[in-house]
Amino acid sequence: MTSTSSDNRSLGDQLLRLLESLEITGRALLPSSDLPLLQSIVDASARIFGAAAASIALVDAERKELEFKVSFGAGNDEIVGMKIPIDKGIAGYVAMTGQPIGISNVREDARFNKDFAESTGYVPQSILATPLLWGDRVIGVMEVLDKISAPSFGMEEMELLGLFADQAAIAIFQAQQFRNISFAFVEGIKEILTDEADGDKAQLLAILERSSQDRESIDDVLAIADIFSAISDLGDSERKACLQILTAFRDYVLSQPGFMP
Amino acid sequence: MTDIPRPAWSSQFAADAIRDLEAVGPIGDLNREWAWGGSTGKDVRVAIIDTGIEADHPDLDDSVRGGIIIEYDKGAVEETQVVESNPPSDLFGHGTACAGIIHSLAPQAEIYSVRVFSPDLTGKAVQFARGLRWAIENDMHVINLSLSTSKNAYYAVFHRLADDAYFKKNIIVSAVNNLPAPSYPSLYSSVISVAAHEGKDPFTYYYNPSPPVEFGAPGIDVEVAWINKGHSVTTGNSFAAPHIAGIAALIRSKHPNLTPFQLKTVLYACATNTKRQSL
Repeated sequence: MTSTSSDNRSLGDQLLRLLESLEITGRALLPSSDLPLLQSIVDASARIFGAAAASIALVDAERKELEFKVSFGAGNDEIVGMKIPIDKGIAGYVAMTGQPIGISNVREDARFNKDFAESTGYVPQSILATPLLWGDRVIGVMEVLDKISAPSFGMEEMELLGLFADQAAIAIFQAQQFRNISFAFVEGIKEILTDEADGDKAQLLAILERSSQDRESIDDVLAIADIFSAISDLGDSERKACLQILTAFRDYVLSQPGFMP
Repeated sequence: MTDIPRPAWSSQFAADAIRDLEAVGPIGDLNREWAWGGSTGKDVRVAIIDTGIEADHPDLDDSVRGGIIIEYDKGAVEETQVVESNPPSDLFGHGTACAGIIHSLAPQAEIYSVRVFSPDLTGKAVQFARGLRWAIENDMHVINLSLSTSKNAYYAVFHRLADDAYFKKNIIVSAVNNLPAPSYPSLYSSVISVAAHEGKDPFTYYYNPSPPVEFGAPGIDVEVAWINKGHSVTTGNSFAAPHIAGIAALIRSKHPNLTPFQLKTVLYACATNTKRQSL
């Protein structure tokens, strides 16, 4: 198949095709959802720590909230989907500081968000909570509640729960990254195209079209998308700088005398 | 001795891991009576860099003398703003817990709150560094850090701050990370690093000659002050550090000219697992 600037298909169609190739490759590599793995991690941790219940909540940084995604045991039905402000409760403390904490007699703990606990129909006696960390960034909080054989959880359990939390963080990050690749890539391309009002968009689209024709090219595009996604995660200024570099490179290539789109 | 493998940090102060040490020469003459006997922490300023402090908590009496909040502001110089917070308040209770422990050990120490957390979850390390710098610039004699950063990019920033504190004779007491990962500034030699042991007596503390963690103090199921004038029973290295900070405040009050390394030597000589010539 060939592609020329006379191609009449819309920008949207072309991007869609490109995304399809990205998604096909991505699905073969990564799970489309992290929930089954997270569920298995809370199930396993509750049993290993001898806890009556366990849960994982993820950080929504923009809304400054934590949303409970999976849970096991007491209060299970009510807690999934619940959201709490990030500056409230034990989970909020862990999310904000990135530090794990163990608390017992939490019924007397004024910091614990009692209204929230009571709305789940389950008020725990002891809690061990640890952050899900990706680098220095807190992406969620994992809790085990009510140690069955003792009034509280110990330091060793705190450190061991950290190891479970590492697994959960990896699962979450991979799934999020997969979702981010498509989003960031499309957004990036859109930005290049809209920023370049006088440029020949068809030329760029032709390059993209060619890139999607064989597996090797798809791998290259995926690698670029991956890098772009990682850079986007660093922040707005880093993403914009990346776009400027890409744009400059594209302009340079297009300006070369022997270049034939 | 059990065959159960213990995770990195807590293993150093497990009952079966604590070794007896010996203080030799004139260091062996140091004892607790000389070190802090009769001291109340008078004239010592203690900064607690944390989630804030509930100043009117009944456990704290009138020990809390002031406070600031380090707010993250991307557009500002150093990406932070220092905002007065008088009387200080606490977001969660963690800083109040630390203040309560220190006040119980050093009742006349003057406590200052340095809150370095905010709900936007960004700039944590930069807020933390600014808070520590504020404490050093304002000549806080003892600085309690029940927090740390694992960001390698801040290694040099915190190292410089630790040196600044050392040369001003400000004593930094830092909890090590609760998870077995490197954390700053707890790993620096001029900083007094602390992890939790299982004991309850506030003056029972151990010295560990094998880094990275030098001191072990109570931090497991410790009853502490909490927000809304409450109390809680908590576990974490966070609660071990203020025990050592409190004792450091007592020593500093009685011996104001000690450098941080000299004070650390006094702590070592008076540790529960150090054999002394004169007890």
